[in-house]
Amino acid sequence: MLKTLFPTLSRVRFVVQLAMLFLTVYGSVVVGTYAADKITGALPALSCAYDQANGAYCVLVPTQHQVHHRIGMAMVQAQQLTLNMVLPLLMVFLTFFAFFFVIGKAFCGWVCPLGTLQEWTGKIGRRFNVGVRRFEKGDLGEVRRVRPVKWILLLGLVFLLPLLTGLGVTPHSLGNPYCDICPSRIATTLLTGNTEELALRMNDGWKFGLGAAANVMIGFMLVGGLALRLPFCRICPLLAFNSVFQRLSPMRLAKPTRANCGSCHICTDACPMDIPEISAAEGHKAYNEDCTLCGRCVEYCPQDKVIEMKWGPLALFGSGREYYKAKVARELPDGTVKPLKFVRNAAKPGAADA
Amino acid sequence: MKPLTFLTILATALALPAHAQHSHGAGVAAPAAPEGRPAGRGGMREWTRQPILIGRPAKDDRAAAGITARGLVASGVTVFAADGPTERRKRDFPNGPEGTSIDAVAPKTGNYHWVIAREESPDTVKVASTAWYFGNPGDAPSDMLAQSKHELELVPAPLPREHRSYREAEKWRFLVRFNGQPLAAQTVALETEFGSRSTAITDANGIATIVFPRDFKPAPKVDGEGDDPRARGRFVLSTEKEDSGKRYLTAFNHSYTQDPERSRSLGWGAAFGILGMVAATPLLRRRQQTQGGKDHA
Repeated sequence: MLKTLFPTLSRVRFVVQLAMLFLTVYGSVVVGTYAADKITGALPALSCAYDQANGAYCVLVPTQHQVHHRIGMAMVQAQQLTLNMVLPLLMVFLTFFAFFFVIGKAFCGWVCPLGTLQEWTGKIGRRFNVGVRRFEKGDLGEVRRVRPVKWILLLGLVFLLPLLTGLGVTPHSLGNPYCDICPSRIATTLLTGNTEELALRMNDGWKFGLGAAANVMIGFMLVGGLALRLPFCRICPLLAFNSVFQRLSPMRLAKPTRANCGSCHICTDACPMDIPEISAAEGHKAYNEDCTLCGRCVEYCPQDKVIEMKWGPLALFGSGREYYKAKVARELPDGTVKPLKFVRNAAKPGAADA
Repeated sequence: MKPLTFLTILATALALPAHAQHSHGAGVAAPAAPEGRPAGRGGMREWTRQPILIGRPAKDDRAAAGITARGLVASGVTVFAADGPTERRKRDFPNGPEGTSIDAVAPKTGNYHWVIAREESPDTVKVASTAWYFGNPGDAPSDMLAQSKHELELVPAPLPREHRSYREAEKWRFLVRFNGQPLAAQTVALETEFGSRSTAITDANGIATIVFPRDFKPAPKVDGEGDDPRARGRFVLSTEKEDSGKRYLTAFNHSYTQDPERSRSLGWGAAFGILGMVAATPLLRRRQQTQGGKDHA
């Protein structure tokens, strides 16, 4: 029964993502009106506080607030430094870590609503026969060039600008700049039928500019996501934030040795983040900062037990030849599947002349 | 660290003009902070005759606030908390020389605290009530609101969540209870500080649905800061009932904010969204190499 319902890890993840999308966007329907205010303000996934129906908040929200309102102001006032500054931020990080410890960066690949929406956008692209574009030589360039962007966004928009605003250096409008450019804010509120976050503030130049950047990104994500897998995740500061702690969670990707690795690069083809290290490296290096623990590399590794998803000493899911054969028969590593019938018909030679 | 250095210099340079006029007092409601605090804007002009509680955050203490009762004579206020030790969930705060100073009942007592002031004479009971947001972790206010606290009660169902407030043109529900039981067909009156007046009647479950009027008059613009879309106006809801020769008057006052659509443009938002879509269209061109052409069998 279970085998029929969940034949692959991808199917399990799809169901989890569906449930988590509901919880993170509409969760208050199930857990109560005030639940999001209470369950957590430190979820390691983008769950937007501007969405009034959701069930939990993203850790970047309180981080910006604490840096802006507590640290900046405490430094200005130079009093009660420990109480005002360290404790609140410590509480946020401890709450974050309590969640993060359990499933680590799988929050990105299994829980984050924006990740789910991007992934489904990509699936639509595949069904409509849109070719996959990749960050690799010969296409969009090396993925390593993109990686620093998420760190710049984390340091600049989550820590630096809120701190400068708290210190009174930058305008009040820059108090939570990451939220202002976060496409998840727009996507998840739109899913609740609320267009307020799509609308731009016209009476504040900073808010207008940041909001315009967010809107450009959501537009880019919706169209670009048809071809490029997880376009925003590549620059997401929450991925960077989670990466800082990824070695502290027992949940991890394990590729202890390349002894049986055929260096076929299929795992990198399967990786929605185009991580070359998963095929080219081993040990800690194989579990890269960009990894979202989606498990696709494990599913598409044709060698037995070369790559595993592990929680502590427990192997949760390991690669295998037979699993790979069954999986690749349904979907190619880069996500290519049989397009919809009318798309296939339109693509047939001579169809345009008919 | 080059990008970080660049960002620092850029942000500092861009923000210099704002530095002089920017000020923050500890405890003052900030843009992304909880908005549930009662209004503290402007002077104390009389815009209602109903009993109300005017709150203001303490200057240097986020866990304290000052409360002033108007429209009734009370010796102090009673504060109910959503969480914390049972014996401390209800506390009385007597009046001081500058009104009443309240504080979070204990660490981890929940965000919302329920505040009431009461004036009682042989033939009349007047109660002013409000909800104060302290920003503590703790239980949701559901049980605190469900608890019967006095005879005639006017209770939000629900209170606004964090990052939210009552707003113009929105509908919100309020429960009227008498001795703990929902009161049907009871009139609830709304007054706002901008002069709007309206009434609603409770349904069979004691629920009155209030539509907040679109009457907000924003505060004058401060140079360089833009209009504060969260600037607040005050409102009070009140209801009255006679029972056994005694008149009960209960009011609930809080703040509401302007309709965000006043200062936002959906057209511009959509335009930038479309710009992003157009920018992404080159990605839809197929690569010259074959797609998925590797032999994975």
